[in-house]
Amino acid sequence: MATNIFFKLNGDEISYEVKDHWTLLHLLREEMGLIGTKEGCGNGECGACTVIVDKLAVNSCLYLAIEIEGKTVETIEGLASTSGTLHPIQQSFVENGGIQCGFCSPGMIMSSKALLDENPDADREEIKHALAGNICRCTGYIQIFESVEAVKGMGGQNE
Amino acid sequence: MSKNNSEFSVVGKRIPKLDAAQKAMGRAEYIQDIKMPGMLYGKILYSKYASAKIIKIDISKAMALPGVHVVLTGEDVPKKMKMGFYKDNPPIKKDKVCSFRDEVAAVAAISPEIAKKALDLIEIEYEEQIGIFDPEKAMEKDAPLVHEHTKSNVLKLPWNIHYGDVEKAEKESAFVVEDRFTTTGVTHCCMGTSGALALFDATENLTVYTNTQIPSLAQKDFLETLKILGLENKRVRVIKPIIGGGFGSKLDTYAYEHIAILLAYKCRKPVKIVFDRVEEFKATSTRQPTVTYIRQGCDKNGKLTFRDIRMILDNGAYTSWGATTPTVMMMPISSLYRVKNIRYNAKCVYTNNTYSQAMRGYGNPQATFAIESNIDMLAEKAGIDPIEFRRINQNVPNETTPQGFKITTCGLAECINEVEKELKSGIAKEKGVGVGMASLIHVGGGARIYKSDGCGAILKMDDYGKVDIFTGGTDMGQGMDNITAQIVAEELGLLAEDINVVHSDTDICPWDVGAHASRSTFVAGNAALGAAKKVKQKIQEFASKLFDVPAEEIKFKNKLVFVPGDQEKSMPIDKLLRKAHFSKNGTMLMADYFYDPDNESFGKDFKCNLSATYTFGVHGVKVNVDEETGKVEVLDYIAAHDVGQAINPLLLEGQVYGGVLMGLGYALTEEVVQKNGENMNANFRDYKLFTAKDAVNIKAPVFETADEAGPFGAKGIGEPGCVPTAPAVGNAIYDAVGVRIKDLPITPEKVLAALKEKNG
Amino acid sequence: MKAFKYLSPTTVEEAIAFHDQHSETAKYIGGGTDVIVKVKEGWLEPDYLISLKKIGEMSELHKNDATGELSIGAMVTHATLEKSLMIQNEYPIIYDAVSNIGSLQVRNVGTIGGNLINAVPSADGAIPLIALDGIALLHGPDGERSVEVKDLFIEPYKTVLKPREILKKITIPPQAPHTGSAYIKFGRRAAMELPLIGIGVLLTLADNLKICNTARICLGVAAPVPMRAFDAEKYLIGKKINEDILIEAGKIAADESKVRDSVRGKAWHRKEMIRVQVRRMGLKCLEIIKNNS
Repeated sequence: MATNIFFKLNGDEISYEVKDHWTLLHLLREEMGLIGTKEGCGNGECGACTVIVDKLAVNSCLYLAIEIEGKTVETIEGLASTSGTLHPIQQSFVENGGIQCGFCSPGMIMSSKALLDENPDADREEIKHALAGNICRCTGYIQIFESVEAVKGMGGQNE
Repeated sequence: MSKNNSEFSVVGKRIPKLDAAQKAMGRAEYIQDIKMPGMLYGKILYSKYASAKIIKIDISKAMALPGVHVVLTGEDVPKKMKMGFYKDNPPIKKDKVCSFRDEVAAVAAISPEIAKKALDLIEIEYEEQIGIFDPEKAMEKDAPLVHEHTKSNVLKLPWNIHYGDVEKAEKESAFVVEDRFTTTGVTHCCMGTSGALALFDATENLTVYTNTQIPSLAQKDFLETLKILGLENKRVRVIKPIIGGGFGSKLDTYAYEHIAILLAYKCRKPVKIVFDRVEEFKATSTRQPTVTYIRQGCDKNGKLTFRDIRMILDNGAYTSWGATTPTVMMMPISSLYRVKNIRYNAKCVYTNNTYSQAMRGYGNPQATFAIESNIDMLAEKAGIDPIEFRRINQNVPNETTPQGFKITTCGLAECINEVEKELKSGIAKEKGVGVGMASLIHVGGGARIYKSDGCGAILKMDDYGKVDIFTGGTDMGQGMDNITAQIVAEELGLLAEDINVVHSDTDICPWDVGAHASRSTFVAGNAALGAAKKVKQKIQEFASKLFDVPAEEIKFKNKLVFVPGDQEKSMPIDKLLRKAHFSKNGTMLMADYFYDPDNESFGKDFKCNLSATYTFGVHGVKVNVDEETGKVEVLDYIAAHDVGQAINPLLLEGQVYGGVLMGLGYALTEEVVQKNGENMNANFRDYKLFTAKDAVNIKAPVFETADEAGPFGAKGIGEPGCVPTAPAVGNAIYDAVGVRIKDLPITPEKVLAALKEKNG
Repeated sequence: MKAFKYLSPTTVEEAIAFHDQHSETAKYIGGGTDVIVKVKEGWLEPDYLISLKKIGEMSELHKNDATGELSIGAMVTHATLEKSLMIQNEYPIIYDAVSNIGSLQVRNVGTIGGNLINAVPSADGAIPLIALDGIALLHGPDGERSVEVKDLFIEPYKTVLKPREILKKITIPPQAPHTGSAYIKFGRRAAMELPLIGIGVLLTLADNLKICNTARICLGVAAPVPMRAFDAEKYLIGKKINEDILIEAGKIAADESKVRDSVRGKAWHRKEMIRVQVRRMGLKCLEIIKNNS
């Protein structure tokens, strides 16, 4: 019950044999060693496992790995440029206090990127609506909003 | 606002969290991410009943499952092995279970799936017994005993104080208000769930990777476990991975840590236990629930005359730090505002519910909810504006409270003024809109609840002007690393990025009592400062010879060591260090410092100066109450604190914002719903944490009273954000619609029910 | 999670054939946000999951401008509905409901059909479709049949779907002019909420914009399955709608409901919310009608 699939991951073309029952989260963390994406609850209620599939933010804990066949997947590991510079969103989260314990941060940053890629000028209400599925216990969210707002209009850019 | 701020180069600056970039890239390693060759996965089986006898356990099928290496039951735990200060809690239970979260067996297997399957194969025969779930009922004479060997469900704890003469003061009071307030259990909800990895080396020394806030005390607990296992004279190394949230949840050692050790010992392989979210809700501890009976009185001018409080605490089935929250509750009870006559009694009562540990604020939020709600009621009875009432009774600098707390710096007056300004500004009040406030006192200079309140730091400087500082402190996201780095950098004229803060390993780092009581800035900060001062002195001595001037004239700034006013006598610090190193009788630059604050342990009647200084604050909130639905919307929030000196305003704001939102959850939405001891909402869907959409605007002004004892004047700020939140909200709701909810959380249902009762 | 084989048919017929082949050991999967949770928790133990994702006709969202009929494929995601300007402008009750289901991550993947099939009492997806007189098109081994959405639900977690039947799409009949609709879900916090109560209201006024021709009052979590408050609706028909009338309708709807206590809230509070929100949503409908005229 394994299938060979082709997909794009953080800019690379990948061919991988996945078991049908693997979640995307399991594929990333346990099989491919990409530990940046976190499991916070396992059933789509906290957003810590958020990755981007074909430009949409999804909970990878509830997304079957086999369903990324032919799709483009972005995880936190793919944001920094090939030369090592942080993506503007990552840099902004660092500079504006958007990260404390950091466990929610990969998911939060990916949700933010998905938002700004689609809506670079999102206002505070739109940011809150888009991030409502990413729970943070440390920050009270304010500095997360400020981190996103500081890079409005720049979404989607690397380098 | 501090007179010194403009003189500082690094302190007072909004420097990003030093490990934020690693975390932003997904490179930070949490316990969830750690793997080791040959590592097994441990899983714990929990009780099916709140109260039952264990008649029989059959592990044969579980043992036979391929991939299972170890199965343990209560039989495998030595009798002496008990957790908690009351020593009533074995890591795996035997013969009897007293709560749904009781551990009854544990498994180590080659994969988490196999471990889970093995748990399902363990067959246990229970004989269900009658449970008791209401602490007040559990105190009654014929209540079923939770633990048969005790004579009563009431724990033998000495939580009693009486300062002055409360009865006399009450007789002399013009106004007295009494009432009953209740708070429920809420839980930490750290985004990174609990976990530990235990492994033994070839000579039976133990290493434990764990999300602990008490590395040194955990080391002690694990040494004790080894001793009980017959392993004398061994080493224990505690390593902290990056911690995905603490909030007080990791101030005691947990069953899962001891179980990981037992499993690892049995099979001599690394064993990792990581909780899933359901387990995190059900098997970690809550904030201590309280039932509070309070009476306060004042004279006709509004001066508080006495405060009389009686509490009943649901201790749950086993004892941990929840049972010691009265020692911290004594702080606002005896010292929030100036009251001479204080009486407090707290009873901790066994029930078959879950048990509580430490949680941010450690009893202060619970006590402050009762006190500050009751103060508004008293002010109303006395016909005095609630803000003015507080002003009449406010703490002032350089006074000693009835419990013996020596208040040195105190910015309470300034905080009250600032919040008053904010609450009285803005548009005229509409229907359903109200404002409320509440104050807080919290320890800001450590707290001597153990024999030592100290923290050690070892500082090493290299030939390139870079510093490594090995500290006993713990960072769990709150910023201990930045604070340490900024303090050291300020002292040595360096940049924060030049400082590498190492805090993860008891093999390398010195002793510290733990990241509690908001003490990291004050104690770990002072320890780092002490070490930096020593190293500075050594450099000054060398430079003094080099520049031929007295050592005191040597200054440090912008990575230079120099004599002010003399351009010749200046050298980059790294060049100076290399000169010192590569010369005859060369020196290495290292220093150690153990800082133990000038505070006191509880004396007779719990009197002492518990902390070296105290943090004060006032919170104000504006709410809109929808009188048809009972929904409370927070329109605006101000949290003003006297912090001594803001070492890093960016991170300080983060602590306040996070603390306030946690406090708002405590006030309005969060509760661990237990039905006959069973957790009914063990998930994020039904346990109502605030989401981004619920976030509120928070202003967080700080007052810098420059405390002499604090490093560069700083006091602690980790906990205050969630201390007065609930009463501020409760008071605002009363102001808005005239109903007072005395039971947290203040849900729409409770507000609506109260409104209906009020309006008939 | 239990291992299973994943099948990916490209037509409804193929999907049904797969299901026939594997009978009870197979389960259809839409977006996956409900099914995967159930498989993880052990409520479902399928040997085969038959994905409906590659069946093109099930993912179409289409308004026939000539007839006014709206066709929503069962595999249309909540996010697609949320982002559609057509839905926002012309079917505000759908927008109100779907834009607050779960989180954006869940909405990007969860489908309107899946929400209906899951048949949870809250059913934010069902209420607007019932209010709009939606018709579900079912396709099974015996062919196609239509069922009104209001009649889909038997009891919590159980619909009238026969074994192997697939919910293909929902059609919404053309809306009469002067129609306004609104939905609110009431809970303790602003997002990620399973509601204490869900209330959807639709009003159609006559051309004189005074008399009510059509009224739909649909309640979620007010009964074992989504329900219409028929008595309250009847009360509104033929009347000139104002706030007092809506207050009375709210009272009738609350009395009609079959609310009960649960871990999420008490029955009396739910009744109060029905009373209050029927009025508020009714007023919102009137506002929408006024703005569109």
